[in-house]
Amino acid sequence: MKARRSPSSTLTAYLFLTPALLGLFFLTIFPMIGVVIISLTNWSGLETPRFIGLDNFKEIFTTDVYFLRSVIATLYFALGAVISGIIYSFTVALMLNRRIFARGFWRSVYFIPYVVPSIGTAIVWSWLYESNFGVFNYILHLLGMNKVQWLQNGTTAVPSIIVMAVWGMGSMIVIFLAGLQNVPRAYLEAVEIDGGNTWHRFRHITIPMMTPIIFYNFLMSMISNLQIFAPAYALTRGEPSGKTLFMVYLMYREGFIYNNFGHAGALSLIFFVFIAALTVVIFGTSRRWMFYEGE
Amino acid sequence: MKREKATIVVSFIVALVGLAVLFPFFWMIRSSFMSNIEIHKYPPLFLPTTWRLDNYSYTLSVFPSLRYMLNTLTIALPSIIGVLLTSTLAAYAFARLDFPLKRLTFVLVIGSMLMPGAVTLIPIFVAWSAIGLSNGYTALIVPAFLGGGAVNIFLCRQFLMTIPRDLDEAAIIDGAGHLRVLFQILAPLITPVLISIGLFTFILYWNDLLGPLIYISRNEQNTISQALANFRSGFGTDWKSIMAACTMAITPPVILYFIGQKYFIEGIVLSGLKA
Repeated sequence: MKARRSPSSTLTAYLFLTPALLGLFFLTIFPMIGVVIISLTNWSGLETPRFIGLDNFKEIFTTDVYFLRSVIATLYFALGAVISGIIYSFTVALMLNRRIFARGFWRSVYFIPYVVPSIGTAIVWSWLYESNFGVFNYILHLLGMNKVQWLQNGTTAVPSIIVMAVWGMGSMIVIFLAGLQNVPRAYLEAVEIDGGNTWHRFRHITIPMMTPIIFYNFLMSMISNLQIFAPAYALTRGEPSGKTLFMVYLMYREGFIYNNFGHAGALSLIFFVFIAALTVVIFGTSRRWMFYEGE
Repeated sequence: MKREKATIVVSFIVALVGLAVLFPFFWMIRSSFMSNIEIHKYPPLFLPTTWRLDNYSYTLSVFPSLRYMLNTLTIALPSIIGVLLTSTLAAYAFARLDFPLKRLTFVLVIGSMLMPGAVTLIPIFVAWSAIGLSNGYTALIVPAFLGGGAVNIFLCRQFLMTIPRDLDEAAIIDGAGHLRVLFQILAPLITPVLISIGLFTFILYWNDLLGPLIYISRNEQNTISQALANFRSGFGTDWKSIMAACTMAITPPVILYFIGQKYFIEGIVLSGLKA
C-alpha cells in the first residue's frame, strides 16, 4: 500500500527531517560554499581577511613545495592500503568460508583491530617498527638482514603505514564473508555438474557475484583512506621529506598550526575535487568490470 | 578425502595468520609490564621476568586515563542519543511518509555520505569560532543532533521498510500519532539496528582524533585518543608507559566489541553489503 500524501503527512515529514536538513545545510552545503569563499582570501584567523582571488591556488600549483608530494603520498597510501586490504580481506574471507576449525573464534580475532583507535594502532605499531629495540628489526636480524629504519626511511615509510592500515581492516573480512555466504549454492553446484573444478567455480560464479560488493567497498574504503591522518600526526609529522605528508595532515598543519586558513581552505577544495574526480572515475569504469544480476 | 585435507591446511593457515594479527596486542601488553631495562634488552625478551603492575600506577600518575575516558564519554554519550534520535526520525520520514521533493531530499541527504569530512573542517571551525564556541565540547556534540549521519539514516530506513505497514496503519487508525508509531511500535522492532548504530557511534567518538585536536586545547579536557597522541610525543622513548597507556585506551572498545559482537557484525554487514 502506498503512503498517501496529505498536508499533515507533509508537515510531519518535514518536521521529522528538520534535524537532518539542518545538518545537510549547516554541515555540508554552507561549509562547501564557505570553503570556496575562504580559499579566495588570505585569512589567518586573526586579522580581517582580504580577497586575493585565485592566489592561493596559484601558489599551491606553482611554488608550494609540499602540495605535489602530498598528493603523491596520499594516493600511494590510499591505493596501496585499499588494494592490499581487499586482497587480504578477500583471501581471509575465502578461507573463513570453509568449514575450518574454530571458525567463529578466528572471525572475531580478525575483526578486533577494527575497533582499536587509529592512534592506538599507530603507536603500538611504531613500537614494533622501532629501529633499535623493535621486534621487526629483531626478526630481520634473525634472518641475517640489516636493520631498517621503517618509519624514517623514504622507501619503507608509506608501505609500513599501509601494513598497519591493512591490519585494521577487519570489517572488510566480515563483509566479504557475508557476501560469500550469499552466493547461491545452486550456481556453484551447477558448475560442478557441468564438470567444472574449484577454480571454475571461483572464476565464473564467486568473483562475478562478488564484484558489486568489492566495488562498493573499494569506493568507500578509498574515500576513508584518502583521509588518513593519525600516523602522520603522531609518528612521522610528514617526514621523511614529505613522503608521508598526507593531504588531511597537510591541511591540518596549514590551517590549525600555521593559521593559514585561506591556504588550508584552498587545499580542502582541491582535496574535494580530487575525491569527487576519483569517485567519478571509479563509477565510470565500474561498468566494464562489474557484474549486475540479470544482465 | 582430498577436501578434508585441504580444510586442515586452511585451518592451519587461518590460525597462523590469526596469531600474527593478535601479535601486536600481545607485544603491547607484554611491553607494558616490563621494566625499562627489560624492554631495552637485545635480543628482546618474549615475556617480562616479573609482571610489573606498578607500571600502571606510574602511568596513571602521568597519564590520567580515567579523566580522559570520562571526557570522551561526556562527548560520546549525548552524541549517541543525538544520532539515534535524529536518524530514526529522518528514516521514518523516508520510509513511511510521502511528501513533495522526497526523492531530491533523499538523494541529497544520503549523497552527503560520499562527502569527505575533512573537506568542511575549516569552514565549520570558522563558523564555530564566529559564535565563540570553537573551544570546548559543544562543537563536537551538536553535529550528532543534525541527522546523525547519512549511513545511519539509510540503515534505519532499510530496516523500517522491511516491517509491514499494516502494523502502524492500524495504530494510526486507532488514533496514534506518527511519533508514537515510531517510538512505541517501530523502534522496539528495530532494536538490533539501533544497538549497532549506538555501538558504532561510541567507537567513532572514542577513536576520533582530528575533531578533539581542533576543538579541545586544554589538557584536562582531552579525549582519550587525543591524550594518547600527545602522550606519545611527550614521552617519546618511555615505551613501557606508552604501551600501558595504549593498553588502557584500547581495552574499553575491545571489551565492548566482545559484549556486542553480534551487533557489530550485523552493522558492518548491513552497511557494507548493499547501500
